[in-house]
Amino acid sequence: MIDVRDVSRWYRRGVDVVHALEHVSLHIAAGRFVALMGPSGSGKSTLLHLLAGLDRPDAGEVVVAGQPLSGMADDALASWRARHVGLVFQFYNLLPVLSAIENVELPLLLTALPRPERRRRAEAALGAVGLAHRTRHRPSELSGGEQQRVAIARAVVTDPDLLVADEPTGDLDAKSATAILGLLRELNRAFRKTIVMVTHDPRAEAFVDTVIRLDKGVLVDGGVAA
Amino acid sequence: MTWTGFVLRNLLRHPLRTALTTLSVALSIFLVCAVLTLPSALNALFERTSSKARISVHHEAGLTYWLPLSYVQRVKAIPGVAAVNQFSWFGGIYDEPKNMFPNFAIDPETVAGVWPDYGIAPEALERFRRIRNGALVGEETFRRFGWHVGQEVTLRGTVFPVDLSLQIVGVIPAATGNPVMLWFNRKYLEEAMAPRGGMRLVGMLWLRAERPEDVDGILRTVDTMFRNAEAEVTAETEQAFFASFLSSFQGLMRLILAVGVLVVGAVVLIAANTAAMGVRERIPEIAILKSLGFRRRPILGALLAESTLVGLVGGVLGAGAAYGILTALAAAGKTGGNNFLGPLSGFRMSPEVALQGVAVAVVVGFVSGAVPAWNGARLDVVAALRKLF
Repeated sequence: MIDVRDVSRWYRRGVDVVHALEHVSLHIAAGRFVALMGPSGSGKSTLLHLLAGLDRPDAGEVVVAGQPLSGMADDALASWRARHVGLVFQFYNLLPVLSAIENVELPLLLTALPRPERRRRAEAALGAVGLAHRTRHRPSELSGGEQQRVAIARAVVTDPDLLVADEPTGDLDAKSATAILGLLRELNRAFRKTIVMVTHDPRAEAFVDTVIRLDKGVLVDGGVAA
Repeated sequence: MTWTGFVLRNLLRHPLRTALTTLSVALSIFLVCAVLTLPSALNALFERTSSKARISVHHEAGLTYWLPLSYVQRVKAIPGVAAVNQFSWFGGIYDEPKNMFPNFAIDPETVAGVWPDYGIAPEALERFRRIRNGALVGEETFRRFGWHVGQEVTLRGTVFPVDLSLQIVGVIPAATGNPVMLWFNRKYLEEAMAPRGGMRLVGMLWLRAERPEDVDGILRTVDTMFRNAEAEVTAETEQAFFASFLSSFQGLMRLILAVGVLVVGAVVLIAANTAAMGVRERIPEIAILKSLGFRRRPILGALLAESTLVGLVGGVLGAGAAYGILTALAAAGKTGGNNFLGPLSGFRMSPEVALQGVAVAVVVGFVSGAVPAWNGARLDVVAALRKLF
């Protein structure tokens, strides 16, 4: 499903060059639930952005579902993301002017689906995350846990091959965090979604199949999640 | 949800801000429409009231120079000329200096011959011919001073050293396009001037051709007749005369149009600032949209649609208000509102000007949103996400 081959990523910060990732190689098989862990600045989020097609490596190659991402132009990469990747962020990042169901429906605007079908799929996605009763509520009317559930529904509504989550429990209380981890596990098992999640949360280890650890941009553990 | 709904939701995120921006566009378009109406309204007024068969003959050096009285007879003899009249500016003041309006000494005998289209009542024309100190008054001036037929009024001379007591004998209808002038008998002025050496000059001549196709020949004959004469003349049709009269205001027109353009420019900057503010506030959301797979074009389109929609709504409001108000003023003028509306009652805004106003507003909206939208669409999603998290 995911092949990362000798990938490096550098950033220029003023006159300094920051080595965010150094010669990282890993393989994640389809249907796995993987946690990327490591201290701050270890390169977890950089790696996640590369896997999601948000960024490109300076060296090496990232192949997701057989598609090499490095040579793709920005717009092509955006279209690929729309079809193959669902994203979940730490701070939910729902659009405040839209209701829960409209937020979930948003990625479907990029498809050719007719309006009733878009609405039906959004309702189904919200139902899958247990929020069928909160469809008309704005994000400001929902709790943090509920907002993250809406964000997960938005990520899965297009039925992507890969779900990437960047600290999905980072802004939640313990109970909500556990519920969100349980939901991701359920989605992984029920729908065979490949999930890669960046997290600092030690509770996550109990929910995932594999933990990949990074430190200072280097892979230190778990390079193969087969 | 639809794209339209998405754009509308974003527009209504700050209703007060959107409303104020829309109103600023509306106000500027209102002004632009009014400014654009000015020249076209004047043109329309002149076209409506001028005749292709009527010719003005005046001193080549300008309207303030006088012509010999003998020119009247010479012009009258030109083949194809149906009637000749004459205008001599009296410059009289009624009661006090602020009551200034155009008043001319003319020939009562040929009013109907030169201005048959004016629709002056035959009994008024008959009284004008018969009563030595009779005066015909434009409808607007007649109403302005609350005069009535038969009333005696005194005009204090400013150009001529005499005061004239005139009897109102009739009204020149407002529809002629000359609703403010007053005409009185030239002979009455000549008599008043007799003790002071008489009056052997005339301001300008108006003549009417028997047929419109005679006009060119008459114009050529007049030119030839007075070439190298003691006072050379310019002869032109009434339409050309009013056009050249109007052209003397071109500088003012240009200034007014320039003010209109500056107003539009200022509104573009205001709207652009608002749009830029809106995009800046939504950088996190734009980054999320891009991460979800929204490409540059839909993001650019949605942001541009917002600013263009503000322009369109502002344009419709502004142009609609201008059209409605000017149409209402014109209607009020027709129903006797001329007294207090003055020339405003003669302004009619055409639907074309309203459409031009809306088009300008759409361009304002588009241009004001272009740069912020472009910047938003080009946003580097990774850089934006790094700043966010």
